[in-house]
Amino acid sequence: MTEAPLLQLDDLWVSYYSRSMLGFAAKPFHAVKGASLTIEAGQTLGLVGESGSGKSSIANTVLGLVPPSQGKMVFDGQDLGALKTRYPAEIRRQIQAVFQDPYSSLNAAMTVEDIITEPLRVHTKMSKAERHARAVELMKMVSLNEDHLNRHPHQFSGGQRQRIAIAAALALQPKLVVLDEPVSALDVSTQNQIINLLYERRDALGMAYLLIAHDLALVHHISDRIAVMYLGHIVEEGPADRVYYQPAHPYTRALLDAVPQLDPAEQARRRAARKAAPAPDLQRVAATGCPYRNRCPLAMPRCEASMPPAYQVEGGGTAQCFLVEEQTRKGAA
Amino acid sequence: MTQATPLRPRKLRRPGASGLITGTAILILLVLAVLALAADWITPYDPLRQNLMHALQGPSANHWLGTDDLGRDVLSRLIYGCRIAVIAAAEATAIAILLGVPLGLFIGYRGGWWDWITMRVVEAVVSIPGIMVAIVIIALLGAGLHRAMIALGILFSTSFLRLARGVVLAEREEVYVRSARVIGASDSRILVRHIFPNIAPPLIVQVTLTVGAVLLSEAGLSFIGLGVQPPHASWGTMLNTAANYMDLNWFLAVPPGVAIIVTVLSVNLLGDVIRDNVGRGIATAPSAAARRRKVRPAEPVTVLPAPTEDEVLRIEGLTAAIVPEGGTETPIITDLSLSTKRGETLGLVGESGSGKTLTGLSVLGLLGAGVQVTQGAIKLNGTDLLTLKPRELEQVRGNQVAMVFQDPTTSLNPAFTVGSQIAEVLRTKQGLTKAEAWEKVVELIHRVGIPRPEERARAYPHELSGGMAQRIAIARALSCNPSLLIADEPTTALDVTVQQEILDLFRDLQDEYGMAILFVTHDLAVAADICDRISVLYAGQMVEMAPVAELFADPRHPYTRGLLSAMPHAASGEPPLPTIRGSVPRPGAWPVGCRFGNRCDFHTAACDHPVPLEGQNGRLIRCVHAERFKLEAAS
Amino acid sequence: MFRLLLRRLLALVPLLFLVSVLTFSFTAMLPSDPVDLILGDTGTTEQHDMLRERMGLNDPVVVRYARWLGNAVQGDLGTSFFNSVDVTRAVMQRMPVTLSLTAVAALIAIATGIAAGVAAALYPRSWIDRLATIGATFGQAVPNFWFGLILVAIFAVNLHWFPATGFTPISQSPWDWLRSVTLPAVALGLSSSAAIARQVRSAMVGVLQMDYIRAARAQGLSARRVILRHALTNAMVPVIAVLSFQITVLLGGALIVEQVFAINGLGTLAITAVRQQDIPMIQGLVLVMVGMVVLVQLATDILYGLLNPKARPS
Repeated sequence: MTEAPLLQLDDLWVSYYSRSMLGFAAKPFHAVKGASLTIEAGQTLGLVGESGSGKSSIANTVLGLVPPSQGKMVFDGQDLGALKTRYPAEIRRQIQAVFQDPYSSLNAAMTVEDIITEPLRVHTKMSKAERHARAVELMKMVSLNEDHLNRHPHQFSGGQRQRIAIAAALALQPKLVVLDEPVSALDVSTQNQIINLLYERRDALGMAYLLIAHDLALVHHISDRIAVMYLGHIVEEGPADRVYYQPAHPYTRALLDAVPQLDPAEQARRRAARKAAPAPDLQRVAATGCPYRNRCPLAMPRCEASMPPAYQVEGGGTAQCFLVEEQTRKGAA
Repeated sequence: MTQATPLRPRKLRRPGASGLITGTAILILLVLAVLALAADWITPYDPLRQNLMHALQGPSANHWLGTDDLGRDVLSRLIYGCRIAVIAAAEATAIAILLGVPLGLFIGYRGGWWDWITMRVVEAVVSIPGIMVAIVIIALLGAGLHRAMIALGILFSTSFLRLARGVVLAEREEVYVRSARVIGASDSRILVRHIFPNIAPPLIVQVTLTVGAVLLSEAGLSFIGLGVQPPHASWGTMLNTAANYMDLNWFLAVPPGVAIIVTVLSVNLLGDVIRDNVGRGIATAPSAAARRRKVRPAEPVTVLPAPTEDEVLRIEGLTAAIVPEGGTETPIITDLSLSTKRGETLGLVGESGSGKTLTGLSVLGLLGAGVQVTQGAIKLNGTDLLTLKPRELEQVRGNQVAMVFQDPTTSLNPAFTVGSQIAEVLRTKQGLTKAEAWEKVVELIHRVGIPRPEERARAYPHELSGGMAQRIAIARALSCNPSLLIADEPTTALDVTVQQEILDLFRDLQDEYGMAILFVTHDLAVAADICDRISVLYAGQMVEMAPVAELFADPRHPYTRGLLSAMPHAASGEPPLPTIRGSVPRPGAWPVGCRFGNRCDFHTAACDHPVPLEGQNGRLIRCVHAERFKLEAAS
Repeated sequence: MFRLLLRRLLALVPLLFLVSVLTFSFTAMLPSDPVDLILGDTGTTEQHDMLRERMGLNDPVVVRYARWLGNAVQGDLGTSFFNSVDVTRAVMQRMPVTLSLTAVAALIAIATGIAAGVAAALYPRSWIDRLATIGATFGQAVPNFWFGLILVAIFAVNLHWFPATGFTPISQSPWDWLRSVTLPAVALGLSSSAAIARQVRSAMVGVLQMDYIRAARAQGLSARRVILRHALTNAMVPVIAVLSFQITVLLGGALIVEQVFAINGLGTLAITAVRQQDIPMIQGLVLVMVGMVVLVQLATDILYGLLNPKARPS
């Protein structure tokens, strides 16, 4: 890669300060603890993790809704971290979003036309007729009936509403779209329609996606790279196929193993294997060292002593696990 | 349910009572306005003209409402009082809105120190009784109508301020506002264009409340002599006069009193109607269903095996419908038959609107207001639950059948410790003493795999993680050793690694207790993991039923096949991923024939007629092409 | 629980401070000159100046405020401009009257309001719901002082069951106290009862739709138990805030209702003070009333903490 990446996060921290009664800052809560990521133009990075992993905090920070407390965030050559949340308009229009819940992400008081042309009103000097023409074009782009432009959001099904949200996000032809769990609130039978639509639009318009989701399998379908988060750390990152088929971090492996398969026999085999293994610790957070070591079946004494740095993994990417280092060493020896 | 239902029940306007009330209220307020405007022309007498010869008279032909202590005509004074009332309400409310709303919007959106300081001042003002604040302000400004209204306007501006601030604070966190910020709309644009339209409805309601309160306060202030000054006529001053002559002519108190009550009542009722129709934020009682109708007996069922010794649940021809008061029935489950036996897990799999959750709830008799079973039988251990009286059903619940819900953090009562919620069940259902119950509670909590059970039993639900809370909910459900456990999407709200732990727990507990489990889920992969047999539901009907291995090895219904291929881990590689076109039809919009027909790739003319559920040996399918798919699978 | 209490108490300090600043600055802005009020047209300019000096009116506002607050903290609210009455004593004398009227009214309002609200929520759209709703709507539209007049006309003037006017202290005769306080308390409590009933109904309807109610029903707990234990406990959480506010409203309403029944409480004192622009008296009255409201808020805060575990600091 000779070209600079579209978005680069370098040791990014996001912290929340709960304010106590008298306004004194209490102990901060670090939602993201030193995340480093890159997204190339026109590519998709899938960011996977369970609730509380910090993946949504990263999304909100990139969108400029939450300021980073530390670290660098460079978009298209400009350091956004220094701007905190006040992006200039030309940056703002380049980063758009589609949120999880299509029921609350659309303003119930506005018509579909108002919703999808609102970005045009804010950022362009288009006339009303031009905006309408663009709205018709956008409706076609997301396979919705242009006659429905003057309807209100509540008249649409979940899948259709998500299409409206996508149309609004595409209105300004952004370079990056943050997709925050874009299909997890939808019926299974409509999820793939939206995934296909997103994939198709990305290739047609040359956008990059930051796709936040909890389902590795789903992310694997449309991502070029995948990053896995656990309690604020990016524990593994790499090319999508490598992470999905050859996970290097025990947590990634556990995530993959925990997803039920459509094969009852395989499920039975896995259950038997789990039964044989010692019960995991229900205490989820480790106080020192690697945050996953309490639940890690392969934890070693050194995992308690310090947080493992990101080691290069064979096949591309990195993983924050001492096992990777030991394997590499063995391989070298 | 994982999906918010696309069906948002639009309020059915009942034209009867509420329309009549609204009409009357509006009419009264119009009359009041006309009287206020035309007071100079329509009053029979000058309201200030005294006639001591005719003081304190009762109603007569000359003076319809009698005369007061100075012989002034009460009717004329009452009509002039209307004018005062309208001026008072308009003035004070306008001041309150103009002061309160912009400030409230500003501090709500801005937050920080502005908000903190303003709110402390508001709190201080609000902690002084309102009338005292008004009195102090009047002391400052002097008595009189306009000054009193400025006082009331300042006083009531605090409620507008708090309302506007509260709505902004709530809306600010809404996803649509986040979307607007991502678009790059400026703060003022977000406030005016995006948030303000959503504030308007509660604002209108608050206006009606304030008008009512202003009228009452104005009357009160005039009554104690700090509002409108004599000899001018206002309803409050008229009552002040009346108070002095209660023993001589009590009727004097009636006309102004009734005028105040009717006016305030009209304004308040109008506010209520607006609030009910806007229906935001305030819970209204779900409209009660029409009188509980008799459940029609099930048609003879051909798709179920003959009852066996170890059969626990047997549902025959279950049909349930939304039955609104006076409206038409909308079926949501039709002709559903299934059975399950001891130690078996039967999966009910479907998307939103399939009726899977309602099937579970109908077994418990907890369908909720507006939904009723209209036909069929639900036999639990041989007894038809639909024939039981509410008291008898209460005995069955908990003891013979229990349920675990989707969201463990909301299905436990936030006000009590988790241990006490399990103990309560043991004490009321099994008659254990407090000590016995507690011992059993600790044992159960330990059994569901929670370390330090004594300590955890004393925790409140919000102090536990989702997975822990679901374990507690499971412990409670199993506390009386029921023969049937209904689990409604019990792992959907949980992380995938926790889901796995909970599913393992279900298996272990079933091995130990031997209950039958009715497992409701939208996720076929979860069903593959936990179920022995699976019944696939679509749009209120069962479309396929098979033992778990057969279903995944040889799915036959086009919907089941579509679902399976649409699962994220089914396909590998890049999009386009396989899809099912269209979306799930809402109840009431189901096709007449095969309900999946309009989304199906195999649709033929034969599909436009109702399709029966057919098959044998526990392998059922509702599809006219069933034979073809079977042959395909065989070849 | 102790920490909650401590936290609430600490939060009261800025509140009381703000109220005292507000009260003082408002009354300091009064158009009348206290010296003119006291001396009237009599007295020479020197006498006026001397009095002004003696009252400390030439000092800067901040100094006057500090002096007033310092004295108030020690229980000295100053001396009335009229009759040289000690404000603290005058207020303390009248307080039991207003307080007992407010307390009885609050009891009536809370008891009837909660009962009606629960009954209405239990049987939505039944006759009992309609009756309670209509009653509550009417109750909120009736001015308390008018209701008092009508009660007097019926129960005192016509039936002679209760005295029409006056107040008997409870220490003098509990029975006469009860007779004297009944009509004004009913008149005062009506609208609060209506407001509470509406709030309870709305809260109950909301809570009854929650998952944990359905879960408790699924466990086979009786409908009665689920409603009275599981639903009401949670429904009371939002109601508590309304209770606290309603008691403030009652305290204010008492000032007016006292006039109907010629009861010599804080209301009469306040109205006279305002008419006479009696600054120390107004200041003292506001401060004492806020003190009472604050105590009520404290009590409801504690109740709130008891009912709502999430509110307790951990």
